[in-house]
Amino acid sequence: MPLRDEPTKPLRIRRHPGGFGTGNPGQLALLPTPAQRTSGNPEPVSGQALWMAVWLPHLALDALAQTGSSRTEPLIVVEAGPRPRVHDGNRAARRAGVGPGMALADALAVLNAPAVFDYCPELMHSHLETLSTVLLRFSDHVCPEPEQQRILLEIGRSLRLFRGLEALCGQVRKTLRALGYSPGIGVARTPAAARLLAGIRNSRRPVERDALRRVLSPLPLTALPLPEAAIDALRDVGLRRIGDLLRFPRADLALRYGDALPKLLDRLLGDAPETLPRFQPPERPSFRLDFDQEVTSSEALRFPLKRLLLQLEQALHARHRTVQHLELQLAHREGRTAMTLERSHPGHRAEAWLELWNIRLSRQALPAPVRGICLTAARLLPITGNAPDLYGNSRDTVEGNGFLARIRARLGDNAVLRFAPTLHPLPEEAQIERPTDTTASHKTAPVTPAQRVPGAALWIHPPRACPPPASAEWLGRLEGGWWLDGNDQRRDYACTHDRQGRIRWVFRDLRSGQWHTQGFWG
Amino acid sequence: MGALEQLLNHPGLWRGRGTGLQESVSVRSSGFAPLDEALRGGWPRGRLIELVGGPFGCGETRILLPMLADCAAENLRVVLVGPPAAPWIPGWKQLGVPPEQILLIRTERVDDAVWSCEQVLRHPGTGAVLAWLQHPGIASLRRLRLAAVAGEACAFLYRPSTAAAQPSPAHLRIRWQGAQDHLRLEIFKNTGGWPAGNAPIHVPIGPGARHAPPR
Repeated sequence: MPLRDEPTKPLRIRRHPGGFGTGNPGQLALLPTPAQRTSGNPEPVSGQALWMAVWLPHLALDALAQTGSSRTEPLIVVEAGPRPRVHDGNRAARRAGVGPGMALADALAVLNAPAVFDYCPELMHSHLETLSTVLLRFSDHVCPEPEQQRILLEIGRSLRLFRGLEALCGQVRKTLRALGYSPGIGVARTPAAARLLAGIRNSRRPVERDALRRVLSPLPLTALPLPEAAIDALRDVGLRRIGDLLRFPRADLALRYGDALPKLLDRLLGDAPETLPRFQPPERPSFRLDFDQEVTSSEALRFPLKRLLLQLEQALHARHRTVQHLELQLAHREGRTAMTLERSHPGHRAEAWLELWNIRLSRQALPAPVRGICLTAARLLPITGNAPDLYGNSRDTVEGNGFLARIRARLGDNAVLRFAPTLHPLPEEAQIERPTDTTASHKTAPVTPAQRVPGAALWIHPPRACPPPASAEWLGRLEGGWWLDGNDQRRDYACTHDRQGRIRWVFRDLRSGQWHTQGFWG
Repeated sequence: MGALEQLLNHPGLWRGRGTGLQESVSVRSSGFAPLDEALRGGWPRGRLIELVGGPFGCGETRILLPMLADCAAENLRVVLVGPPAAPWIPGWKQLGVPPEQILLIRTERVDDAVWSCEQVLRHPGTGAVLAWLQHPGIASLRRLRLAAVAGEACAFLYRPSTAAAQPSPAHLRIRWQGAQDHLRLEIFKNTGGWPAGNAPIHVPIGPGARHAPPR
């Protein structure tokens, strides 16, 4: 077989799962895995819209686990309100029969002294935002849905990069697991169907319209995101599964149950488009953790800090950015402690930052017990290659001016200066300061003969009147400025040693006879 | 004989002279033969050098000018961090350091100055860094030492005379004092061996040309 035919072959194989070619090792990466072959999920064509829903049902518990507390006794997260109810419970609580939606009073009756935590929607939002930033690595179109603790991402265009759907799903799952979250993942050709499949942890991945219909049909009506009353009403007329609904004409459904139901079905199958906003990552990403109990030793901050740094690493990786400066805020019962850490070179590796933070934390005594920590990256920097060029010469690479940019960023634009000589004979006028962002590539003017007259002094300050020196070493006479009105200067330059050993650069104004110091010789 | 060789090669054994540490350090000539000799070849590169003394303006910058001119000739940058006065560019240019190669960094805070020094020292385009730091902490000095070793530049730190009594992690420490048309240098620490004699070195400073003012 000619070599150039090979790239087209895997596509053909995918369409006809029965006929596999010979075992050519070069094609192995593109071939469907045995699991795919048996599951009957055809590999989608790259470029076609495909949605992944990442559902985080236990986000509140995951967030608590990140602080390093692992409890075996029952733990419940409670939503405050006029009638407090259970948001989620850990495994022990669920085993005892406490589930989401239960009234707090009932839960407390069932459980023996459970640990109770308040559900904080803002904290969940910040977690979801962090995860959305992390997921930007897999798609440019990410849409978090904080109310449902879900993130949607369009993955159709990412399939080729990540070598297929299964590999991509595996990577998403692995990334989130590594950060300490337990996601449910659903993939379908429409966002609505992806949400539905993620919610019931269905591992089938319908890519084609017919396949989607086949997958949805046997599912119970309760899987639909409808109010309970609506589902009961549908059940009353004998409908049990989604497939029963799909068989009905949409117009009749609209007449009987309102517009919402047919619109939902259209969106499930992709007959009606659904546009989702794009997530824009924050300019100053910040990562927050609240502890379930107060932390009194800086040692105990290490584990949660590592979690945050891992999130930071993933988020920076997704955006191809790096940081040089991090700020850590420790929240106390009253007030906050802020700590900053700046490295001499930027980096995003969590281990490197963790090591530095550990050094910093081990030197710092906590002023008060800590209830939460927040890590903020003040300024994201682009990753610049520091690799030397072909000849091992990295002197004038992009990095060359990157370090000046970093210094300017920290000290301000007027802190880093270059000088440009002028042709003016008077020493104090012989140069101008310029910030470094102007290009200094052009060759500067030579030293004029007039500028050589006062000698090669190294340091200058504005002329100051001084008493006549006891002894002086003469350098030269400067006459200049007579062509400018009122700026006629005649000076005799000299060096003089003062009592402290300094060599002053002085001149005598020939008109007034007054001595001035102008700078230092060396 | 074999046993002796073995013993001499033992890593735990330190020999006062000829430890082989110094051979790997490349140097830049200071332009003054006696000073080169005392410095074992010249100003070491990739080392932190402290010049302790005062006040500013006795000629302690001028002794570095031949070395800085070498850097500029190699197209390397000369960075001045926080000098007490502004450099007079025509003077520097007459001595071989063109304005394109001079970079001035002005900072108020010591930690900003130390951090900028680190940045420029690590950069391969830097030939020499001259920093005036008033009271850097020992931790800052250690950071500077590490940054100096990481790069190829000569790192000079000007510190007031009171700093001579304090310990410092700098590789090379030199006390200087202005004396009429000389600068008196005294090496009181040189890592990797003994200072070559304790006699102070006199380096001529001053304009040289001496003539009466025209009448």
